[in-house]
Amino acid sequence: MTQQIRPKGRARRGAVLAGALLTAGALVLTGCAASDDGGTAEGGEFDFTGKDVGAMEDYGVGDTFAATEPVEFGLFYRDHPNYPIDDNWLLFEELEANQNVTFDIVSAPLSEWDQRKSLVIGAGDAPDIVSVTYPGQEVSFVAGGAILPASDFVQYMPNYMDKVEKWGMEPDLDALRQEDGKYYLFPGFREEPRPEYSYAVRTDIWEELGLSLEPESFEEFAEQLRTVKEAYPDLYPMTDRWSANGPIEGTLGFVSPNFGTTGGWGFGQGLWWNGEEFEYAGASDGYRDMVEYYAMLVEEGLLDPEAITQDDDQALQKFASGQALAMGTNDQEIVRYRSTIEELGTDAEIGMIRVPAGPAGDNFQSGQRLVSGFMLSSEAADSENFLAMLQFLDWLYYSDEGLEFAKWGVEGVTYDKDGEDTWVLNENITAMGLNPDAPENLQADYGFSNGVFTLVHGSTVALDRSMLRPEALDFVESMSSKDVLELPPPAPLNEIEREQVSLYQSSLKDHVWQNTSAFILGQRSMDEWDDYVAELEGMNMPAYLDIVNAAQERYAESN
Amino acid sequence: MQGGIKDSRSYTVFRVINAVLIVAICFITLYPFLNVIAQAFSSEAYINSGQVNLIPMGFNVTTFGYVMSDPLFWRNYGNTVVYTVVATAIAMVLTTSFAYALSKRHLKGRAFFIGIAVFTMFFNGGLIPNYILINTLGFKNTIWAIVIPNAISIFNLLVMKAFFENFPEDLEEAAAIDGLTTYGILLRIVLPLSKAVIATMVLFYAVSFWNSWFTAFLYLDQSELYPVTVYLRNLLAAATGGESLGAGMGSGESAQVAANVKAVTMLLTVLPIVCLYPFIQKYFVSGVMLGSVKQ
Repeated sequence: MTQQIRPKGRARRGAVLAGALLTAGALVLTGCAASDDGGTAEGGEFDFTGKDVGAMEDYGVGDTFAATEPVEFGLFYRDHPNYPIDDNWLLFEELEANQNVTFDIVSAPLSEWDQRKSLVIGAGDAPDIVSVTYPGQEVSFVAGGAILPASDFVQYMPNYMDKVEKWGMEPDLDALRQEDGKYYLFPGFREEPRPEYSYAVRTDIWEELGLSLEPESFEEFAEQLRTVKEAYPDLYPMTDRWSANGPIEGTLGFVSPNFGTTGGWGFGQGLWWNGEEFEYAGASDGYRDMVEYYAMLVEEGLLDPEAITQDDDQALQKFASGQALAMGTNDQEIVRYRSTIEELGTDAEIGMIRVPAGPAGDNFQSGQRLVSGFMLSSEAADSENFLAMLQFLDWLYYSDEGLEFAKWGVEGVTYDKDGEDTWVLNENITAMGLNPDAPENLQADYGFSNGVFTLVHGSTVALDRSMLRPEALDFVESMSSKDVLELPPPAPLNEIEREQVSLYQSSLKDHVWQNTSAFILGQRSMDEWDDYVAELEGMNMPAYLDIVNAAQERYAESN
Repeated sequence: MQGGIKDSRSYTVFRVINAVLIVAICFITLYPFLNVIAQAFSSEAYINSGQVNLIPMGFNVTTFGYVMSDPLFWRNYGNTVVYTVVATAIAMVLTTSFAYALSKRHLKGRAFFIGIAVFTMFFNGGLIPNYILINTLGFKNTIWAIVIPNAISIFNLLVMKAFFENFPEDLEEAAAIDGLTTYGILLRIVLPLSKAVIATMVLFYAVSFWNSWFTAFLYLDQSELYPVTVYLRNLLAAATGGESLGAGMGSGESAQVAANVKAVTMLLTVLPIVCLYPFIQKYFVSGVMLGSVKQ
């Protein structure tokens, strides 16, 4: 279906059949406004006649956006409990004073964000700008015509285009493209992927036993755990977390690239590009190696079997109280682990290890450069301020000045610059663990570093890392020698195919999740791996792969 | 137990087992409550290290001060009280009048009216159509969105209808002969004699409105309008599912609220309703039995 735009009179919208609160897959059949003005294919020109009120005549890279008259944009706002929205935030005041921009805010709490987004967009009631949307979440809204194809409008966003070119984002963006060759999300960019996840270990014990914090391979890491087990036979060398929706999802996410597969949070729909075609990750040899490794850890008593099922708090309790000596973490969570240990009054010391290399090499997962972004509702294109909106969004989310503003705030008020790429937070303000005892909070009291207005912590390497603690910087540094895996080629499905594969995907994935648990816990022997693969084949895995591979070829031919 | 006759051995055994079972079940159901209460008075470190069970560790009440100092919490709390009172009042007026009319056998089209009421128990328009309806009525972000859509619970309606059907007809006839109008009969004779069913229904409604969050989630998008249940849900919300986020969770983007803050908020939220229960227990029992026996 081609998505076209024209000023609508009264488009009839019939919204039907939304699975109650199914975040994905709200099938919305919207009578979308269509016209025959040749559409606005990429490179084609959109007619801004009457829609350029407030827009700047000359706006380009390096220009500060300021609307020529006060403009108000509708914003669908994700309200975060750590920093509840406050109309008096300095962020809003500054945007009004300098950019001439105010917002008409519709807010939804974090706990209901995804559901509410589906509902409001499905009912055709979405504000102009829909914030906090992760790559892939936009797909369910494409068919209804309720959101604008971002790729048609990025040409009017000079900073966006500039970053895409400078950072070589095209291949990443290709992964977002739908059947019609367009993409519908304005994503957040990362200049470089930033590793955040690894294992936290008890560094005091590692030191005592003379173990390295940069184990070369997973084999060596297992060897370390054995050494720990010998020294402390009553404890589990390792426990783990992120098992709320499946077995150790966070951990399998950062471990799997080294086994040449994808798992846990990275699993997505289970597709893995082997260089020639897509295969199903859950049935691959790499996945088997990974599961086998964890099964071995459990069998030898090196990994707490409860890691597969317990909730995060239980894992932290074990780790903080010294019943387990290692567990998965990321560079922010480790701060919380530390404060828990401190409050318990033990003198345990913890740190992050470098993620070891695996049988498939020393890898880091691909596709980590696109993160949460925003969508524009179709109605936005009818607004008289449409061009001004595009310019403003370009400035706020993609220009160096806007990125710095959204993350750090106002120079001389919330921070001071110390040289080119060093920001110093005002000593009365705390943020992300900096100045922990300061009375004011950059997020809660000023509105900066807010996930709605700053994507990926600022995009550029300098900004992205500007609030990291030295420990996290060291971790990023140690991980930087890993090879980032190649992105898979795009394989966008059409609507019928998407519906068909969605029937396969969830049952396949459920089966993989269940058996991942069973294999790791030893409830199912690894000898039965082939039976398990056969079970997956019986669940339409070949049909699923055929559809995806056909779509990949189709896309490659037409582009 | 009849006086003078000793219990047989097997009956004694039965009673002992019974008592043990009931105590065990009480403990199982009460434990989570007591645990939350203990957590509310404990310091976070002890909770995180898993040392808090039934006795608070590191006793403090600073968390209460912290939660109570949030103006939004009180605002939402006030909203809950207002929504509950108004919604219960509306629901009672509508349900009582509907049930009373339906209980009259000489009502023309009675079966039809009961039919359309019962129909809604099993079928509804669905989420998005409802949303569009409320939106078009202009109810979004108003108290009406909360108090109107769920004003009549069909289950409550049927229970009430059954009660009125059992109401002695002679009384009403006598009142009519003494010159009371239909409304007079309802207001002066029937309702004063229906305290049990009214108390039960008020409770059913009040508890469900107090605990409800879904309608608020659907039709409200300003935090100062939320009931306290939505405030609580937002507080308890873990970071939005890991799937889509993968490793993309940023600093400060994953919501982490201290365990003791959660506990205190839960406690303050359920307190009023929990305090009411002991006083109205007897009505619940009679309420459930209503209409179950025909005269």
